[in-house]
Amino acid sequence: MRFALSPEQRDFAAALDELLAGSDTPGVAREWADRRCEPGRKLWRDLADLGVWGLLVPEDLGGAGAEPADAVVALEACGYHAVPGPVVETAVVAPRLLGGDELAGVAAGESMATVAIPPEVPRALDADVADVVLRLDGESVTRVPSDVDPGGRVPSIDAARGLFPVPEHGVPLGAARPHAVEFGVLGVSAQLVGAARRMLGMATEYAMQRRQYGRPVGQYQAVKHLLADVTVRLEMARPLVDGAAVTLASSLDPPGADVPGAGAAAIVRDTSAAKVAATRAALLAARTSLQVHGAIGYTAEHDLGLWLTKVRALAGAWGTADAHRGRVLTAVRGGHGG
Amino acid sequence: MTNIVVLVKQVPDTYSERKLNESDHTLDRESADAVIDEINERAVEEALKIKEAGEGEVTVLCVGPDRATDAIRKALSMGADKAVHVSDEALQGSDMVATAKVIAGALGKVDGYDLVIAGNEASDGRGGAIPAMLAEILGVPQLTHARELSLEGTTLKVDRETEDGVTHLEANLPAVVSVTEKINEPRYPSFKGIMAAKKKPVETLTVADLGVDAGELGLSGAAATVLEAAPKPPRAAGERVEDDGDGGTKVVEYLAGQKLI
Repeated sequence: MRFALSPEQRDFAAALDELLAGSDTPGVAREWADRRCEPGRKLWRDLADLGVWGLLVPEDLGGAGAEPADAVVALEACGYHAVPGPVVETAVVAPRLLGGDELAGVAAGESMATVAIPPEVPRALDADVADVVLRLDGESVTRVPSDVDPGGRVPSIDAARGLFPVPEHGVPLGAARPHAVEFGVLGVSAQLVGAARRMLGMATEYAMQRRQYGRPVGQYQAVKHLLADVTVRLEMARPLVDGAAVTLASSLDPPGADVPGAGAAAIVRDTSAAKVAATRAALLAARTSLQVHGAIGYTAEHDLGLWLTKVRALAGAWGTADAHRGRVLTAVRGGHGG
Repeated sequence: MTNIVVLVKQVPDTYSERKLNESDHTLDRESADAVIDEINERAVEEALKIKEAGEGEVTVLCVGPDRATDAIRKALSMGADKAVHVSDEALQGSDMVATAKVIAGALGKVDGYDLVIAGNEASDGRGGAIPAMLAEILGVPQLTHARELSLEGTTLKVDRETEDGVTHLEANLPAVVSVTEKINEPRYPSFKGIMAAKKKPVETLTVADLGVDAGELGLSGAAATVLEAAPKPPRAAGERVEDDGDGGTKVVEYLAGQKLI
């Protein structure tokens, strides 16, 4: 089992980073929060050109037929750059729920998809902007009307996130492929790792810039230790996220493959463990980078706030840490919850 | 069907500290991150646009050490079809004339070329003469400093921009073009492009394969010898004007002394 990124994955990460770093993503996220969505849609089209939305879509539908680990690379970049919109829903969950032309449209970047999966995901993210709004109950997928009432928006601590209740009526689309929820959990974990890495980077840069008592604050051990603790927690979370991607990939092995696919319990265990660890790392990164930045980090004008609020929102999205700890416990006990 | 060859060079990243070797004053490639020269990405983009508008094949041609494969891979990820890589210890320290001869020799190994696209100058050596030298050796037209390029049949039109103005050039293929930063915005490699690049053919050649006289190459074959090199001296401290109420006057006197006003 290899966890290190392949040269191709590193090249893909570098291409994403180059595109997103030059796209003023903080500015795009602020516009998106005020529902001026054209810059965000442009960013999504650029990401479509790189193949982000088609990674997990089969090749005959215009996708790349890639592995969950490739999607982790893309979603970590989205988290690092605070790309707004239903990135997890479109990139990794929609391929579990859609097929045919609808999925081909997602891969081509023509449709932005979002989904509600009660009870784990009670509301659909950015359903007012998305082109395809879905609802998953058990195994049955329903496409609900996408003309949601903007007034029905439920506030999120992350201003860029528009959360909407989804009606129960719609057009039934048939059965979902297995593990749609676990794919979403993996996606949001990768996003959290990316956000944590960004805040650690911002805090480190600030600590080398800001001078106090004649030297950069980063030269004081108290500050160094804070940042080192975040690094350790982040590097402990990353293998769990990569490992969960590997577990999910083995579940996709076609029947008759030499290696048996991982059982459902292992998939739940590994994706939930990844979410718990990624959330812990991101929340520590948020608290620490706020402390290192001092008062400036609290201001709405400083970009740090975009990530502080995003990780707080993502911590609860796709299941809270407590819910995921419960899932891990149930999985390791062999399905007998306690 | 237009066969296009794009010249690609791997250079030290402009964001990293660039140094020369102390012993022979050649570029110290180990001291800095190596990347594909940005102007070459624009050259590749222009070749891909021509290919996508009609029919064609894009070959990447790179002269450089073994690790220049990273630069080649980037060009293939963007969408070029195949690559030729000339790598040989004997090339270390070659001057521009020798490099142009090697490139011309390598072009002889590509089955037929109609158009060679290069960047106008590399960000490390900044000689900017290779495209012209190459055209001279090949005996084909040179259309350098192109900010716009169009191809109709076998007629190539180029807007050549220099500090003095814009010249409109026209030539028949085969020809050598060099492009400036204004030519286009290069695409980013897509996931599919990156995966496809793994399977694209890269032919590796040595000097012996090219029919170029090895005596003309390398540091010993260079027409000029670098005797000494020193880093640029740090900027001298500026003159400080204390303002005792007459600061404005002193500033004006200083500027007048420099004949700036």
